[in-house]
Amino acid sequence: MSESILEIRGLNKHFGPTWANRDVDFTLGRGEVHGLLGENGSGKSTLLSQIAGLYRSDSGEMTVNGEKYDPHSPLDANARGIAMVMQELGVIGSLPAGVNVFLGRTGRFAKGGIVDLREMNRAAAAVFEKWELPMPRLGRLTEGMSIEERKMIELARALSVDPEILLLDEVTQSLSLNNRNRLYELIAKYREMGRSVIVITHDIEEMVQITDVITVLRDGEVVGRVATKDTDPDKLRMMMVGRNISGDYYRDDNVPECDGETVLEVRDLTVPGEIEDVSFDVHAGEILGFCGLSDAGIHTVGKAVFGLTSAAGTVHFLPTDVYIKSAPQALANHMGYVPKDRDNEALMIHANIRDNSVLPSVNELRGALGLLAPGKVSSLADGVVKRFSVKTTGIRQTMDALSGGNKQKVNLGRWLAKDLRLLILDCPTRGVDVGVKAAIYALMKEAKKTGIAVILISDELTEVLGMADRLLVMKDGRVTREIRRDEDFTEQAVIGVMI
Amino acid sequence: MPEKGETRKMKNWVFWIIFAGIIIVALAAFQLVAKLVSGNSFLEWSNLKGIISRSAYPCFIAWGFCFLFACGYTDMSIGGVVVLGSFVSCILGNWFGLPGVIIGGLAVGLLLIFINFLIFTYSGIPSWIAGISLAMVYEAIAFLLKISKGTKALISTSLAKEYRILGQLPWCLVILLVGLVIVYFIYNRTTVGLNIRALGGNKDVAEKLGINTKKTLLFVGLIAGILVGVSCVLQQSYAGQTTVKTGLTSINMIFQPLAIYLLAQIIRERINIVVCVPICAFILYAIFNLLTMLGVPSGTLQEACLGAFIVVFGIIGSRKVKGVVK
Repeated sequence: MSESILEIRGLNKHFGPTWANRDVDFTLGRGEVHGLLGENGSGKSTLLSQIAGLYRSDSGEMTVNGEKYDPHSPLDANARGIAMVMQELGVIGSLPAGVNVFLGRTGRFAKGGIVDLREMNRAAAAVFEKWELPMPRLGRLTEGMSIEERKMIELARALSVDPEILLLDEVTQSLSLNNRNRLYELIAKYREMGRSVIVITHDIEEMVQITDVITVLRDGEVVGRVATKDTDPDKLRMMMVGRNISGDYYRDDNVPECDGETVLEVRDLTVPGEIEDVSFDVHAGEILGFCGLSDAGIHTVGKAVFGLTSAAGTVHFLPTDVYIKSAPQALANHMGYVPKDRDNEALMIHANIRDNSVLPSVNELRGALGLLAPGKVSSLADGVVKRFSVKTTGIRQTMDALSGGNKQKVNLGRWLAKDLRLLILDCPTRGVDVGVKAAIYALMKEAKKTGIAVILISDELTEVLGMADRLLVMKDGRVTREIRRDEDFTEQAVIGVMI
Repeated sequence: MPEKGETRKMKNWVFWIIFAGIIIVALAAFQLVAKLVSGNSFLEWSNLKGIISRSAYPCFIAWGFCFLFACGYTDMSIGGVVVLGSFVSCILGNWFGLPGVIIGGLAVGLLLIFINFLIFTYSGIPSWIAGISLAMVYEAIAFLLKISKGTKALISTSLAKEYRILGQLPWCLVILLVGLVIVYFIYNRTTVGLNIRALGGNKDVAEKLGINTKKTLLFVGLIAGILVGVSCVLQQSYAGQTTVKTGLTSINMIFQPLAIYLLAQIIRERINIVVCVPICAFILYAIFNLLTMLGVPSGTLQEACLGAFIVVFGIIGSRKVKGVVK
């Protein structure tokens, strides 16, 4: 075993009556890439947050390089060579990208009280260049940037500290294939430099690919630590959930079902600078997949079809013969949309589960006088919580208290409680564990059986290959190829078109 | 499909050329029409002097709003603070001359706004509720000073003319320009300015990145306090006397600076908001001035025109930002 850089003994953390971590022992070796695996709510993010100085530990101790370590803040952690990229932290939209990289540490660029922005942007650019990250326009406000660009800024922010230990919490889930590969290269470089990385990802195959050691957590306790070379994804799944979950939760057939009644007819959809002349049909009971690299425009397609962004071209919803121009119109015509950016675009994060659950269904829940019936509202929210096994203290619990996977269960569940004809899913399994993932795929299969047309947009190639009947590969805003499930439906074929 | 970067650059150039063209044509047309209807006196030097002098004190309050709103807070008591600050500026001015005018206004503005922020920061009461309560308190104090025997005479006396120079040209313009430079640097180029904006952008992120949010809020109180203090000095120097009533009428005093801030907010995507403030103040008071020349009654129709003007600008402004589509 390599020399340890971080030692954790008997670490505890509880929030009210709930134990987030209990007696956690953990060792990180120098030059080691260490994976943390566990279901949503198992305490992985809390553990990283304790290491990064975001949460104070209730008891237990940590040492870094043999010296006692008890960070009071992320700045404390930075000073000891530890930096973290958080799952759902984000950047400040009203500040430029360059400032976001050094936010909280802008004082080091101040001369006579005035911050030298040029110098700061130069330093930020140097970080992007050193680690070969795609550089955004550093003087531009981040509020108009994509989730992927924002995640890269967060990564640059962590790297700007030049940390000995880099903590990555679900970073790859926000990235498309090309940037994911860049991150893998960065992690490999870190290992070569003798620095250490702790990674959380729900993609078990990815974890096996990039880590040296994996620690598995369940209900806040460490249930195992294994060398990656001595294990496989199925064993890890078993350790993680305590029961056997097969890896083949995707479809096992290769028969495309795209001959049903046409539900949606999209023609020449164009959003200037984003997508151009995108045309396709979606049929009842079909899962139509979209994939592409970061600038391919796949996420724009979902928004434009649901009427969330103004676009040229037509979106014809055939069952009601309506041309969709706006989101309310789409909603009224039995269409649903689950966006990629869960916290900012889908959920009212400070409102409770009950209010979030009923949001797409308020029209259906109105009584004779146009008022919402409290009983019906609670019953719908209860139904979502029960059907999706949301880990919660009740429907009055606020969304920000839930883990990523449980938030996604509410997010998706509220749509599936409706009578839908078409559902647009943009990265539906982003940041969810294998158990939730399996449940989401099962629900997609169920939706397919009941005749719901599904548009599945995803940065994970295995996901679209595993679930779609037809796949539209996009590049530079255009659809470059259509592949049916019974054709050359392989990663190699798709990547060949994407790049 | 052209490269995205190239398209963006091209669009930016096209935008600026069209924008500059529209502004030049609109200004020329506006001035021509205004000169015709106002009997050729609009924007003449004497007229211009009045507009600049009148714009100075609301600019400082509007800059204060830039900091307040940037950190996600509001303060409805600023009008009450200006009334009290102007009183003290007047009294100390008549006693000690120009230093009294300056110290009186600055001290009251700084002290009261800082107290407000101490309350906002540590009480946890929403700032707009606390601000309205404090406005009532400050109005009541001002009213008591006005009617009580001991202070009545002091309050009703105007500031001596020789001490009003800061409200007149060229001094008010000098103060405005110095203020513009200082506020620009604080807002855009200092750690505290960036931290304030981070706090309003996302308090959770700011906290997690190690920004001391309480300390930052108190800095807002300090900066906004100084700006309101300067506006007390300029207000008293311009008007010579300040009237006071109860019933939250002091909020009227912040309506015009608020309108300036809102206008500035609309064009901030293209021009820095701190620079926008004096530009918008000038535009706003030029319009008021023209309306007065045209015989439009102030207090009623002029306010209605101002409201309509803001709505129109708001509509134009809201069309500028393309949503995040990626």
